[in-house]
Amino acid sequence: MTEASWSRGDGGDCIRLTGLPAGAHVRIFPGRGVSPETAAGGAGGRPATAGRLVREGDDLCFVPRFAFLDGTTYTVTVEGEIAAVLVRALPDRQPVTKVTGIRPTATEVPCNLLRFYLQFSAPMSEGCAAEYIRLARDDGDNITGALLPTEHELWDASRLRLTVLLDPARIKRGLIGHQDGGYPLRPGEPFRLVIGSGFRDAEGLPLRAPAQHRYHVGGAERRHVDPASWVLTVPPAGSSEPLRVTFDRPLDYGLLARCLQVIGPDGHPVEGTAQTGHGEQAWQLAPRRAWASGPHQLVVDPVLEDLAGNSVSRVFDRDLSRSEDRPREARPVTVGFRPR
Amino acid sequence: MGEFGLQRGSVDLRSAGAITFGPAGILFLADNAAATVFAVDVVDPDPGPEGGAEPFDLADVDARVGSFLGAEPGDIVIKDMAVHPLSHNVYLSVQRGHGEAAQPVLVRISRLDGAITDIPLDDVAFAAAPLDDAPADDDERVDITLPLGSEGEEIQVGERKIRILRQPIRTATITDIAYAGGALLVAGLSNEEFSSRLRRIPFPFRDGATGSSLEIFHVSHGKWETAAPIRAFVPYDGGASILASYTCTPVVYFPLADLTDGAKAVGRTVAELGSVNQPLDMVSFVQDGEEYLLVANSAHGLVKIACRDIDSQPPLTEPQQPVGVPRETKDLQGIRRLANLGGGHVLVLQHDDEGRQHLRSLKTASL
Repeated sequence: MTEASWSRGDGGDCIRLTGLPAGAHVRIFPGRGVSPETAAGGAGGRPATAGRLVREGDDLCFVPRFAFLDGTTYTVTVEGEIAAVLVRALPDRQPVTKVTGIRPTATEVPCNLLRFYLQFSAPMSEGCAAEYIRLARDDGDNITGALLPTEHELWDASRLRLTVLLDPARIKRGLIGHQDGGYPLRPGEPFRLVIGSGFRDAEGLPLRAPAQHRYHVGGAERRHVDPASWVLTVPPAGSSEPLRVTFDRPLDYGLLARCLQVIGPDGHPVEGTAQTGHGEQAWQLAPRRAWASGPHQLVVDPVLEDLAGNSVSRVFDRDLSRSEDRPREARPVTVGFRPR
Repeated sequence: MGEFGLQRGSVDLRSAGAITFGPAGILFLADNAAATVFAVDVVDPDPGPEGGAEPFDLADVDARVGSFLGAEPGDIVIKDMAVHPLSHNVYLSVQRGHGEAAQPVLVRISRLDGAITDIPLDDVAFAAAPLDDAPADDDERVDITLPLGSEGEEIQVGERKIRILRQPIRTATITDIAYAGGALLVAGLSNEEFSSRLRRIPFPFRDGATGSSLEIFHVSHGKWETAAPIRAFVPYDGGASILASYTCTPVVYFPLADLTDGAKAVGRTVAELGSVNQPLDMVSFVQDGEEYLLVANSAHGLVKIACRDIDSQPPLTEPQQPVGVPRETKDLQGIRRLANLGGGHVLVLQHDDEGRQHLRSLKTASL
């Protein structure tokens, strides 16, 4: 009588088998069902799980080449017959991960909105986005075909922040997607971005709760981001009050955090704490040391985009007949100011 | 492999991504988590001439690979597929498990008998090329965590030394790679700016050289100029030309010679794949002395385009359906990946209605 159990052996997790005759032919398969062909080791059957059998006294230990996966059932066959079925238990824990931010935080977005950023409190699993992120109208119906159905989920390296794109084929003028379906978002028709609680964190547990953010929808935005139109509230020289910059429209949350920099009269960056304001329509820099007097420059990286993907250097989909929409030089743009 | 600058060591592959073969059976592996492309000598066991001409089919490839790796099919994601140019053995880039348990594995399937093996990467000849649009040195937005192992860097805090791991927030996801004209071409998606960059990294990789980067615009219907990430592309005409499919579905042609560093290139839109659709993979093959391209996409069957039609196709000026070059749509659904198998066959990875995945050979003469 063969008995199988989870155990440790030869430096790792193993399946320990007792009561086996010497030289027995043992194989392991994931899953509960094993077809007769697979069990018999036929060419048409599934291959056995890679690993090695190690003799420990009277026992035989199966040490897998790839670690056993929690939540997976493993079937043991001996001489082609099912001898045991073992379940690798999932950790017994309560869901704790939650959505900590949905950007934009603006209350109104243009109908050619290009992307969202979702922030989670703990690292997440890949492969859930298409199933658990949706756009819904106020009547509860889903807005279908709005999000880009990509097999490449755009996570940051720690899998805490996910970038979700709306399908550019629906947004760009002249493409069949836009011709057939129009903008996925309609001016005057509010919608919600909804994240289902089934979204799995990196440990395989669902979210503690679903999350959502409601937006109003305005007209299309198709202009360059123009730093010359921003309003700067310049702090007095000698003070440590923040420089405040108010934009003419909400800008991209992810890019804002790296595209703005202040250069002091000495030509060096002004160190301090930068902060993006609510609605991504303002930005401020509180300096570590008091403001010097003299000319300063707010330096804007030309890749900085608004919510519709228009950047300082180019309009998202440029109408070739509009000369004002021509691409601008992909060089940093500066806005001068002088604390007094 | 010294001629290609490969050195023996352990490839620290952190994620499974796109794969493609280069010269001398060297396999390129894209690792999005490490923001790196690796070139690896996979030491393919050449099965000899008999490995060549026959078609190759393998039903339930996900279940078989999963079984070998000790995982249910739902815990296996086949990220990409490549066929060795000489032996025609099949290579799969596989993610095993999800979340914390996710593990990249390179798998080889024998063309002769369908036997599955994994390719250990801890003692192989390899070279690495970091991607230049990984976070810039002055991009200070990183998540800092305390690693459990020896990852990360050691810093001095007061009198103590602690080890920290800097995790970049800005990342580039490689959507497709191909080798042509002595260089690896890399297309990608940024998780921030919306750009249309194709990177060309000369091979052998040189220390510190991340290659040139090109922004390729395309024009829709003569009215709108646009940039978008390239989802899939294929070199053809001996590597002289590129056909690229964009996330917004235009299919765009450009000659590789146009791609000089820093120059703005404008490709010619020759077709559109239609609404609510995504390009997935592309391959070129020769049939009766003529070169053809196949485009796998999410909404329709395989699309077949003759290269001579691309050369004679004027830029699209009117939105209409069907648009662009003459193409045939093959009634072959669920095809996610394509590769040349040799012997007059194209190998496809096909998902069926039940979500099962199969390798199938398509005879190019019948396409």
